[in-house]
Amino acid sequence: MRRASLLRSTPFRLALTFGCLVLVAFLVAGGVTYRMLDRGLARQLDASVNETYSVVASTYAQNDVEDLIAAVNTYSSLRSADRSLFALLDPTGMRLAGNFTPPRLAEGLSTIDPKTLGIEDKSAYRIRAGTVGGNWLVVGQSFADVEGLSRIELISLGWASLFVIAIAIAGGAFLAVGAQNRLDAVAKTMFDVSNGQLDKRIPLTGNGDDIDVVSGQINHALDRLAALVEGMRQVSSDIAHELKTPLNRLKMILNDAVDKDDRGEDVGGLLSDASAESDQINGTFDALLRISQIEAGARKTRFRMIDLNEIVAFLGEVYVDVAGDVGHRLELASLSSDRAIVMGDRELLTQMFANLVENAIRHCRYGSEIRIALDREANKIVLSVSDNGPGIPAEEHDKVFRRLYRLDKSRTTPGSGLGLSLVRAIADLHSAEISLADNKPGVRISVAIPAYG
Amino acid sequence: MLIEDDQKTAEYVARGFSEAGHVCDVVRDGRDGLFQLTREPYDVAIIDRMLPGLDGLSLVKALRAARVNTPALFLTSIGGVDDRVDGLEAGGDDYLVKPFAFSELAARVNALARRPPVQEHKTILRVADLELDLVRRQATRAGQTIELQPREFTLLEVLMRGEGRVLTRTMLLERVWDFHFDPKTSVVETHISRLRAKIDRPFEAQLIHTVRNTGYSLHAPR
Repeated sequence: MRRASLLRSTPFRLALTFGCLVLVAFLVAGGVTYRMLDRGLARQLDASVNETYSVVASTYAQNDVEDLIAAVNTYSSLRSADRSLFALLDPTGMRLAGNFTPPRLAEGLSTIDPKTLGIEDKSAYRIRAGTVGGNWLVVGQSFADVEGLSRIELISLGWASLFVIAIAIAGGAFLAVGAQNRLDAVAKTMFDVSNGQLDKRIPLTGNGDDIDVVSGQINHALDRLAALVEGMRQVSSDIAHELKTPLNRLKMILNDAVDKDDRGEDVGGLLSDASAESDQINGTFDALLRISQIEAGARKTRFRMIDLNEIVAFLGEVYVDVAGDVGHRLELASLSSDRAIVMGDRELLTQMFANLVENAIRHCRYGSEIRIALDREANKIVLSVSDNGPGIPAEEHDKVFRRLYRLDKSRTTPGSGLGLSLVRAIADLHSAEISLADNKPGVRISVAIPAYG
Repeated sequence: MLIEDDQKTAEYVARGFSEAGHVCDVVRDGRDGLFQLTREPYDVAIIDRMLPGLDGLSLVKALRAARVNTPALFLTSIGGVDDRVDGLEAGGDDYLVKPFAFSELAARVNALARRPPVQEHKTILRVADLELDLVRRQATRAGQTIELQPREFTLLEVLMRGEGRVLTRTMLLERVWDFHFDPKTSVVETHISRLRAKIDRPFEAQLIHTVRNTGYSLHAPR
């Protein structure tokens, strides 16, 4: 038996695909967060630079240039450590105060890389330059802190991604193993069944999940399959048994005919016997074929609305004289005045009822009474054929619907033992229930067909 | 025209028809059969359902599409009801399940061959002194009105329409009772005997004749 490898198994691939999707979603969300954080930090830096600039510049507004120089010097010494730049240049470009000498800069906010500023540093600087009382004031702050924060964010994003993918794969593998085990159980069962162990069934967990539901359905199909195979096996051996007898008889008749022919005697009688035997064999085959075709159920597509009253009245008309000829009395009883509508196949229903009536006619002693009745019971329409004939022993009630089964006492009357099997096949096709009851004396066979409307 | 791939069956049928004085061409392949049937006018085509080249169902469909109205009878070992309906829907005129008695086939072929191309709508059927008025649903013989049950009327109508031909038991079951199965009781015999009691027994000449092992035929005394 070929087993699917875990990596190729559907649950694992689903889990992996899902993990990848989660990762992509995570990265997109992370990217967006990163950008927003970056922009927030940049705005904060701008605000900080602007604020420092305003504070420094405001010292000039209150006093004079000396205060400004002092303020610049104080700030530059105070904040050199956190990478802040201060410079105050006089109109000639001479440095009056500060911790660096800026190149020529545009007025306002700008981002300048350290090389242009002539400073040993890796990060760029945010610079605000402007004229304060004729002097050139430059305030700057490094991007280092902002970059540091961004880096931390990137690193955490990376680690988080790693965890996500690891958990997705591990979780996927875990789930996949679980699902795979159950699918393996299904595969193993099917393998066993196809190797002839028809009684194997898929174990159910009982939690009602999708695999359980599918397994249940497969089990149901297997039950039906096993029943069909068993039926076939039964029928094949029955057929073999049942046809052997007429075939043997045929062979004997033909041998006889050949002998007689050799002696120059007339073989006409024997040949018509042979023909009758072969008709009987053919009849059995036809009936079997018909039953299996009906059981295949294809005819359901031809179902129409049918009034059973019509069929019963028709059969009554057909069979009343036929029964009369062999001394029986056929009676139609309690034909309901409402319509007895069912969904069905007229031809098959006619054949089914005709079969029941014919059975009664053939198996009853001379002068019996046969009664066909049609009743409505709840949502079913019940047709029954009862007689006061020899009856069927209670212990044989179930067996008579089997193919080729015949009561011992009816072995002598012609028939294939398929009539009631056909009846049951047609009843099954119409979802009808068929039951046998003792009519004391005689038999009452009822067929309950679901009513339409 | 017979289109049948099984040699034994083909010989059996062809011999039967030649002995009865008919000409019977045999073809083994569906395509050849279609070609022949479209080229020459035959009285009846007997077509096996399962054929090499082109199956019987498609053959008849093609034939009808080509507006060839030669009556077609299907021969088959597939005896299912659906198959029969399929065959008739495809444009076949009759259907016979193997194995069959030659007399049954001959009766059906005769019925098809003599079926007038356009069904004439007679309202009164007459055989000898027996009259059947299809409009007034009344039967009279030698001027006497005969009371008939509805089904007896249909039986008589079928027999009279097939005047002079043999109607087999199966043909009667299909046409009068719409039974497509073989009843295990004497349905046909019983109703024929009731009908005889009404239309034949009171009179001198018998019109309904039993054809041994085959069926019945209604015709004027010869």
